[in-house]
Amino acid sequence: MSAPAEIVARLIPILGPFNKTNAPLSAATRFTEDLNFDSLIVMEFVAAVEDAFDISVPLNILPDVATVGELASAIDKILGEGKS
Amino acid sequence: MADLFDRFAPLMAQRDALLGDGGINPFQVKMDELLSPTEAMIEGRRTILAGTNNYLGLTFSPEALKAAHDALEACGTGTTGSRVANGTYGSHKDLENALAEFFGKDHAMVFSTGFLANLGILSTLMGPEDYILMDADCHASIYDGVRGSAAQIIRFRHNDAADLEKRLARLEGKPGNKLIVIEGIYSMLGDKAPIAEIVAVKKKFSNVYLLSDEAHSLGVLGRYGRGLPEEAGVEDDVDFIVGTFSKSVGTVGGFCVSNHPQFDVLRLVCRAYVFTASLPPSVVVSATANLKLIKQGGALRARLMRNAEQLHQGLSGLGLKLGSDVSSVIAVVAPDPQTAIAFWRGLIEAGVYVNLALPPATPFGYSLLRASLCAAHTEAQIDQIIDIFADVALRLGMIERPASRRIAAG
Repeated sequence: MSAPAEIVARLIPILGPFNKTNAPLSAATRFTEDLNFDSLIVMEFVAAVEDAFDISVPLNILPDVATVGELASAIDKILGEGKS
Repeated sequence: MADLFDRFAPLMAQRDALLGDGGINPFQVKMDELLSPTEAMIEGRRTILAGTNNYLGLTFSPEALKAAHDALEACGTGTTGSRVANGTYGSHKDLENALAEFFGKDHAMVFSTGFLANLGILSTLMGPEDYILMDADCHASIYDGVRGSAAQIIRFRHNDAADLEKRLARLEGKPGNKLIVIEGIYSMLGDKAPIAEIVAVKKKFSNVYLLSDEAHSLGVLGRYGRGLPEEAGVEDDVDFIVGTFSKSVGTVGGFCVSNHPQFDVLRLVCRAYVFTASLPPSVVVSATANLKLIKQGGALRARLMRNAEQLHQGLSGLGLKLGSDVSSVIAVVAPDPQTAIAFWRGLIEAGVYVNLALPPATPFGYSLLRASLCAAHTEAQIDQIIDIFADVALRLGMIERPASRRIAAG
């Protein structure tokens, strides 16, 4: 599944303050390996994403999300469910 | 091919680097002899225990000891079975009745530990259409419990009722029930949930239930020791209370109480209840005996709070950074894990045991020396704890030499 570019573009500024490793940010950026996210940062980042998109991001989906692109796809799916 | 345990290698390397090559391992403390609820022999030294969660000091209450001895003689050392098979004795039902009466709820269910109570209840209560909204700082047993649930799990920011409200509002119109999960007192820093605000948020929405884990607040808060809901006057708005016997109650075991008319069906579907052995009768009767003491324990609670005030005042007077207000848990924040370990070792070598708590198990990534108080601590013991903290903190360069305070010999 290709990541929705528009959502990736919205995610990158949200990620900015959490990017302590100064890794280049793109759809391919990996949260654990590239950004060194630990559970505390994940909590804060997910909350920021929820607020920015006005959606609920359940913890259940997080194990399947390794990259910014995968998160964008998950958000796309959640936004789609909201419309139905 | 990689060894099964290779994936733990980074963790082991990190731990070895932290612990270094000298000193006692903070995670492998051995108590060779218990002298009282507040003292033990550790490494051949008489040591003040200030990290046991034994808030009311009931581990040696004569009432519980007598009941436990009698039950051991009469019923033996264990039930060897599940609550739904051969593991329910009269004493298990008596304890459940005592719990229901204590909390003024219709139903009570006893589990074999507090961890299992959270695991059992949280993994079972909510279905695939439902939502669990949990405080981000909840205990590992809550995280593991919700992980086993079919519901969607959403976290809200710690102790932030407005953040919870925002998250509930986003779920409005979705089918399914919602369960808010909080703790009365959070274990690491001893901070209380803003339960009245959370109840107010809960009431703005429909089909929302509230579960509070009173592990650290049972016996500690409320006139009769029923925890934060009693203290805040919101008991009728808390649908499920989970708790443990391994803190104020002074033994081991867990429970859940509720007024829900169908509550008892959980005895059939909670796997952590059905598929584990029940508590030994000696443990069960000591919980029942100490529950009575908790209800009448106003003097113990007052003593505990006086001790908390004394320790808080003493430690903050030294200029140490505290992560806690005056509460049954008082945590000193160390600048980094290495300093925290050196601090902990300094304390244990001088005869004070506290808990060492390191990230990621701590809020804000803090490295903590976590003290928990006991109603059985004497004023002199607390003074001694403060003196030893002062001595170690001074040696580590964490504080300036206090002007007025006598420094214990190092």
